[in-house]
Amino acid sequence: MHTRIRFILAWALLAPILATADELPDGDEIASRVNARDEGLAVARNLTMQMTDRRGKTRTRKTRGFRKYYGDEKRTVIFYLEPSNVKGTAFLTWDYPDIDKDDDQWLYLPAMRKVRRISASDRGDYFLGTDLTYEDIKLETRISINDYKRRTIGESKVDGHHCYLLESIPVDDETARELGYGKVVQCVDGEIWMVRRARFWDTKGKPLKTVYFRDIRQVQGIWTQHRIEVENHKTGHRTLFLFSDVDYRHGVSDELFTRNALRRGL
Amino acid sequence: MSCLPGMPFAVVCEQRSRYFVVPLVVGISMALPTFGADIDSSHVLSGRSAVGIEETGTQLLDLSWRPKVQWRFEDGGRLTGIARLRFQAEPGTRPGDIERGSYASISRPALIGDNAELELREFFYERSLGDWYLTLGKQQVVWGKADGLKVLDVVNPQSFREFILEDFDQSRIPLWTVNAEYAFSDRSGNDWTLQLLWIPDQTYHALPKRGATYAFTSPRLIPQTPPGIDIQLNDPQRPVRVIRDSDAGLRLTGFLDGWDLTLNYLYQYDNQPALHQQLQPGPTVVITPRYHRTHVLGGTFSRAFGDWVLRGEIGYFTNRFFLTDDLHDDDGVAQSAELSYVLGLDWSGITDTFISGQLFQSRLTNYQTGFIRPEVDTSFTFLVRRMFWNDTLTTEVLWIVNTNDGDGLIRPKVSYDLDDNLEVWVGLDVFYGNRQGLFGQFTDNDRVLLGVKLGL
Repeated sequence: MHTRIRFILAWALLAPILATADELPDGDEIASRVNARDEGLAVARNLTMQMTDRRGKTRTRKTRGFRKYYGDEKRTVIFYLEPSNVKGTAFLTWDYPDIDKDDDQWLYLPAMRKVRRISASDRGDYFLGTDLTYEDIKLETRISINDYKRRTIGESKVDGHHCYLLESIPVDDETARELGYGKVVQCVDGEIWMVRRARFWDTKGKPLKTVYFRDIRQVQGIWTQHRIEVENHKTGHRTLFLFSDVDYRHGVSDELFTRNALRRGL
Repeated sequence: MSCLPGMPFAVVCEQRSRYFVVPLVVGISMALPTFGADIDSSHVLSGRSAVGIEETGTQLLDLSWRPKVQWRFEDGGRLTGIARLRFQAEPGTRPGDIERGSYASISRPALIGDNAELELREFFYERSLGDWYLTLGKQQVVWGKADGLKVLDVVNPQSFREFILEDFDQSRIPLWTVNAEYAFSDRSGNDWTLQLLWIPDQTYHALPKRGATYAFTSPRLIPQTPPGIDIQLNDPQRPVRVIRDSDAGLRLTGFLDGWDLTLNYLYQYDNQPALHQQLQPGPTVVITPRYHRTHVLGGTFSRAFGDWVLRGEIGYFTNRFFLTDDLHDDDGVAQSAELSYVLGLDWSGITDTFISGQLFQSRLTNYQTGFIRPEVDTSFTFLVRRMFWNDTLTTEVLWIVNTNDGDGLIRPKVSYDLDDNLEVWVGLDVFYGNRQGLFGQFTDNDRVLLGVKLGL
């Protein structure tokens, strides 16, 4: 075959593939689309956390949580309802858009009867015995813009849904140490701009944990995850987060996001 | 024993108090379904056993049941009741080993035999009314930012049955209180809360009797007499006028540029009685505990800086009494104002680890010749806590040291959550140093503890 014809045929075969690769959205674009997704101005919901150790023993925590945006500032509060030994524990965070300003966080422990100021730099610590960190809890469905450099590394499927693979690397060693992660690869559903799976590596490059975001469906017009499954590959510990009674419509009182509310409870 | 007139709740004489408490406790603990669906009940069963190290043998055997019931009303109000039935087997730490004269009759626990007591710990109604939030009834009001030692956490008195070893939540004595909080915003949009307190409950620190395991013997706290001179301890002269002898306080709480701030004021009878002494023929020293009014002015602050949290509190007590051996003094106690403050620094720079240090200082501003305690009293506390296995295993060491007397207390503890509601723990309480000091006076009381807590 003539060389020129062979070249044209090869181009004709490869072009769609190359074109697809070219069309993969940029990592930053994916992150900004995820973060631009409508989360509702405020939400109230129940959250049950089931924590299972490597021997199969399960502990269950039932909570009621609220989140509300004040412009770009986000306030989140979680009240523990069960079991009785943690009942009354409450956690409040005020998350500021200014990256140079630390978040303000408070924890109320009923045994102490005091609202205690806690350091927002504990963001790599695991949240009250679960397999998500304080930072994971704070971000919810969003992606941290300033902590990572990111790129799109391909496509995949999770639970039958097509998604883009977004690789995020901490911007420096100190950030990696703070977060406890050396790399994160998220599978982002481009239809609804939600993460369906996230894989985490520790700062030494070893697999740390895998998180699945499942039972994603619309509630009052807003795509909402109802099930988060986390498996820590290092410890064998797993946490299942189950959301229920999600309500975006009926508003959330400002009073809930105060230290007084932490002390008084629900 | 006298009844107190004019109390809004439960006007009872002491001899009747157990008959008041028992049905109330039974009622709230059984969570009667007939009250409707808005009833929430829970129970805590706990046990502690301590074995002495120097003086071997069981030092403490403590079993307690704490039922809690909460009723929720349609108007948003809540009624909360918490009771405590406690059984203590070992002489020296039994309910009867505590001076009960410091309790107002409506707050005094009911004795059941020698080893058990039944107490209505808390019983209050709370609801919001516009910008106000009212909490009315028997309750704990906790001020201050300090851990382990107290500066402004003086609204409620404390039981010293086990010195400061018992959890403050359990050793703090709840009081009948009117607690009103008003929330408002300033022109810059900062939120503030003004808390007003009125406490018509003349209950003060519960101190161990002479000879009890944790009876005070330090010369700082107890008058010392030469051999051959007897001591007679009278009943405390406790204020009893419900209105005129009530305490009142206010606290302004705010958040400003990242700082948690409070300003506090309390007009109270000092919870610690002054031990007025009189030498009588015999010879005998007659000690009469009396309570004195004091104003408490203070404030607190806390703020996070990266991995660090800085916190502190300061309290100025206008009128306190201290033991003196000045021969010119006629009753063995002398007055001075006291300035107390604490500065604390918490560090969370290592995953699942919490490290904290605090400096406590107390200064007497009118220090006089003969005072037994030093003019400036300094203590430090250090706490290291680390969590393992997804917060199921907690290890910690608390060290409190007084630099004036060179004495202190070391408290290592390991606790493990066996189940959702079942916690077991083992710990050590080790006192050391000068036997004349606050901690050293208990040098013979070192102990190993085993505890279990079950939530239902």
